[in-house]
Amino acid sequence: MSKLQLRGVRKAYGATVALRRGDMKLDRGEVHVLIGSNGSGKSTLCKIVAGSVRPDGGEVLIDGRSVEFSGPNDARKAGIGIFYQELSLAAHRTVAENICLAALPVSGGVFVDRAKVAETARRYADLFAEVAGTGFSLDATVESLRADQRQLVEIMKTLATEAPILIFDEPTSALDRAQVDCFFGILRRLKEEGRSIIFISHRMDEIFAIGDRVTVMRDGETIETDRIADTDHDAIIRRMVGEKGELAPPAEAANDAASGGGQVILKVEGFSGPGFSNIGFEVTEGEIVGFGGLHGQGQSAVLRALFGATPGNSGSVVLDGRSMSAARPRAAIREGFAYISGDRGRDGAIAGRPILENVTPIHFLKNRLALARPSHLRNKALPALEALKTKYAGLASSINSLSGGNQQKVIIARWLIDRPAVLLLDDPTKGIDLQTKTDLFALIRELAAEGMAIVLYSSEDAELLNNADRILVFNSGAIARELTGSDRTRYNLYHAAYEAA
Amino acid sequence: MSDTTVIAGSAPRSFRRFIERFPFLPALVILVVLLALNGLFEPNSLSYRAIRGLISTYLALILLSVAQTYVIYAADLDLSVGAILSLVNVGIIMLMQHLGGSPGGVLLACGAGILIGLACGIVNGIVVAVLRLQAIVATFATSILFTGLALYVLPVAGTPAPTVYWRTYGGTFFGFPFVFYVAVAIAIVLFLIARTRLITQLLSVGDDQQAAYQTGLPVTLIRLKGYALCGVFAALAALCVTGDTASGDPLVGGEMTLNSVAAVVLGGTALSGGVGSVTGSVFGALIIGLISSLVFFVGTPSEWQNLVQGLAILLALMVGVLVGRRAKS
Repeated sequence: MSKLQLRGVRKAYGATVALRRGDMKLDRGEVHVLIGSNGSGKSTLCKIVAGSVRPDGGEVLIDGRSVEFSGPNDARKAGIGIFYQELSLAAHRTVAENICLAALPVSGGVFVDRAKVAETARRYADLFAEVAGTGFSLDATVESLRADQRQLVEIMKTLATEAPILIFDEPTSALDRAQVDCFFGILRRLKEEGRSIIFISHRMDEIFAIGDRVTVMRDGETIETDRIADTDHDAIIRRMVGEKGELAPPAEAANDAASGGGQVILKVEGFSGPGFSNIGFEVTEGEIVGFGGLHGQGQSAVLRALFGATPGNSGSVVLDGRSMSAARPRAAIREGFAYISGDRGRDGAIAGRPILENVTPIHFLKNRLALARPSHLRNKALPALEALKTKYAGLASSINSLSGGNQQKVIIARWLIDRPAVLLLDDPTKGIDLQTKTDLFALIRELAAEGMAIVLYSSEDAELLNNADRILVFNSGAIARELTGSDRTRYNLYHAAYEAA
Repeated sequence: MSDTTVIAGSAPRSFRRFIERFPFLPALVILVVLLALNGLFEPNSLSYRAIRGLISTYLALILLSVAQTYVIYAADLDLSVGAILSLVNVGIIMLMQHLGGSPGGVLLACGAGILIGLACGIVNGIVVAVLRLQAIVATFATSILFTGLALYVLPVAGTPAPTVYWRTYGGTFFGFPFVFYVAVAIAIVLFLIARTRLITQLLSVGDDQQAAYQTGLPVTLIRLKGYALCGVFAALAALCVTGDTASGDPLVGGEMTLNSVAAVVLGGTALSGGVGSVTGSVFGALIIGLISSLVFFVGTPSEWQNLVQGLAILLALMVGVLVGRRAKS
């Protein structure tokens, strides 16, 4: 009997299906690897097991008994410990408090037993004593730690649950070699104790180093489970790609511009900043350059830095022959940059305000308008909205009344009134429907045909393969590989992205 | 090369560590400066009598700021603390009147007052944590509700407290004023509460609610407990107000709500939750108190007093917040 079994577990957020069908069996004393591309449902599956996401259907069985969790607390009591990819740490609490947070030891019923907290935390911190690095101590606040040290704290916190089932959702993404080796040593010991471990990583070498079995996920489904010994890199990548690998046709219309060698609009050299280093690329007139690779390898960071939204960058950025360094978005916009983010709530929508106000802020900024003349603005806004087939009740209705896709269209429209020279797209189709995506990419191609230089980062590989003339594959904050022409296949994209850093 | 950068980076780091450990330090400095200024303009203001008066007057605001701190720890807010104070004030006044002025009746009324505060806190906790309404709006609404109740209980200010009550509060025992004993008792209680698991949990929730939930903490219950604790301390503040004013007033706490928020912020506690200390809030409340007396002592004409007081609080906030921000960056 399996320690943990999932049967047809599924979860949807509105129209977006995060997990279509999750089936897997986790044995006692094994490290079971989950692998799949961005958005294939790995994290959702883990969160369902850990009780922090409630499934729409299907069954979770522990030791053969069906369980239903009302929250993470339930799952913890049922013997499940989880490492969250986005970490679950309290930034201003100390390392020791964080390690023990789930079940703080108390004395007298109400008081925190500090000696016990320190003792428990010490036990887990000592496991990593050799590799934790300077500045790491039990009474340091998590806020003051480096990214890799925070990740270690989350690992210790997970280990401190002493749960028979441990889930690690990308625990090694910020760790260095020595830290990973140390961690793997611990995992092997836990395995010998008979604990069951689910392990997610995008580093192929790690998967082969630690895994016993591997389950590949694709498009929200668990595809197949193999013993690690019976498989290899290529077989796993082929499975992740699926049959679509051969079906994804490189955009043909876009090909000409790429080879045309038109005038260079944007030239970036030796560009470094938080999350990326030594980035160099060129975008010519009418070209769509794609940023590919796994999530969070520096693609968004580069785009935001170019737009002046994050400080602390160095390197050379040349736009239309003029050297520039945008210190803030206002300057970048005046220079001719446009930035559209998939995170509408944070970067796009002016929540609660009318559509008209949401379409016109860039027009205001670029023309230094001081007064709003509704009739004048209306004439500017309508054609821009029309170009995207935006559906809305009236210019005066709030942007919140629109669907996600139409909100995004409104935000794109604001850049169409006064055309920018370079369009930076940061995963622009996140959470929007298929029809809108189609409209959007038709427009993007049209803009490119008119001569705009476009940089597109997308977490959906099909979007990149279908629309980008060239794809720069990012890995750990650097460009690992450039795919051009007929090299732009799903297989090559995954291969470059999953290459050991 | 690398050596110089290390040195350049390490000097502010120790300062930063210090501020991180003692977020109330800027408030303490401001407090000392204000005490000195008060002494400069009115030497008598540093006398034993004056300090005693200061404590007995501002004990209520101190307790109210402490109450506010506990909810702000969890990134919540309670705009009804003043109204709870008013309700408890008129509640115990009426109870004492009904039960007669005997010591037993007074103690019973005080116990009932604390239960009223607890009940109000639980109501706030239910609307904010369980029903998940916006804390600012929801507690603003409950503040109107509590004020309404207070006005029903005692429509006009003026019913006096029993003599035994205010005589005790203003009295002297074994050579020390009663309020000093109260202050010491409160200090001990605050010290103990700071060590409870609930406080660590409240701060963790304030740091990152989602993370706390995913860790398996009962977030809703923790926030509810925070509001309950806040209600109890608002009630304790009401007991002090009643001792100080010796009468019931259904609107006595109204102005104090925002003062309590200002005191918390002055004390270095972040409104975004996760960091802070009740010690800071105590200092913050005293700062607000000393500013009003300083404005009086320097002889500001009465029509200008509010304006000068506002400017002074703004200045204190700027100093405190800017120092904290510099330590962080």
